[in-house]
Amino acid sequence: MTERMEKEQLLRKAGYSYDPDREAYVNRKTRKIFSVDYLEDHDTSEITRKIQEATQGAKWTFIFNDKLPDAVKRELTKLLDA
Amino acid sequence: MPERTPEDRLREEYFDLLPEIQRVAENLEAEIRCNILPISRRLHRFEQVVVKSRVKECNSAVDSLRRRQKGGIFLPHRPQAYTLLDLKDLAGARVLAFPRALLTDLHEVLRHQFSRWDRDPFQGDPLEKVGYKYSGFLDKVSNRVRGEFQIVSMLVGLFWDVEHSTIYKPTPELRGVEQSLPMRDRTQEVLSSLAAFEEEFETFRNEVRKKTKKKRKA
Repeated sequence: MTERMEKEQLLRKAGYSYDPDREAYVNRKTRKIFSVDYLEDHDTSEITRKIQEATQGAKWTFIFNDKLPDAVKRELTKLLDA
Repeated sequence: MPERTPEDRLREEYFDLLPEIQRVAENLEAEIRCNILPISRRLHRFEQVVVKSRVKECNSAVDSLRRRQKGGIFLPHRPQAYTLLDLKDLAGARVLAFPRALLTDLHEVLRHQFSRWDRDPFQGDPLEKVGYKYSGFLDKVSNRVRGEFQIVSMLVGLFWDVEHSTIYKPTPELRGVEQSLPMRDRTQEVLSSLAAFEEEFETFRNEVRKKTKKKRKA
């Protein structure tokens, strides 16, 4: 199995699904979103650690390579909650 | 009246720019065709070089710009911050060649002709195994709209055409599917298979050439 497929399985098992519009994997229950670029650049152990990390209550956790500005986080939150 | 969104402004910008984009695409294609004439004139019967140009469609341009923003979104309160002129491929040309060995000759000619353009490898292909990509301005045509040209194997280019026209064009909501982890893997497999097919073809072709030369000498 390729590393990408391992990551895909890991995410699916943890309840994430792919959102083509955002090019990201999203879990609405835990309110976490991983960008595909982040997933490409980090290994499975790091991704597992991020999946298991405690969530911030009702706030979305954005796991991207670059830190997102607050204004972008606010807009993304609106779209994800719509 | 509802406030205009960044997308509304970008669509308006697109139609303002359209004549200029068309001119860049036409001129780029003509310049490429003209410069590769010494190669296209001496092709063997089985060899092919095709040059195609295209103007990026409006929705595709807006969507493409959106995906390049942090978080993949436009912020509604700063619509003037976005411009389609940031895109490198509003006007594009693709040089398709078969067999793959022709790519090197074509690249050699075009990289000298477009020496001031930015060399910009395809995403995930830093060693330029898939092909070559350049972007820049055609000085006499436009100093605002950039052009982009690609030199790729004909098999790869046709695969991209089919992929694009059968999946993404009729169903824009599926744009982005190609970036999912399994699709990236599958696409990589297709590209590797096409490369292997062409390598095998080259091996046979070289063997046949050697045999023909031997026969002639005898």
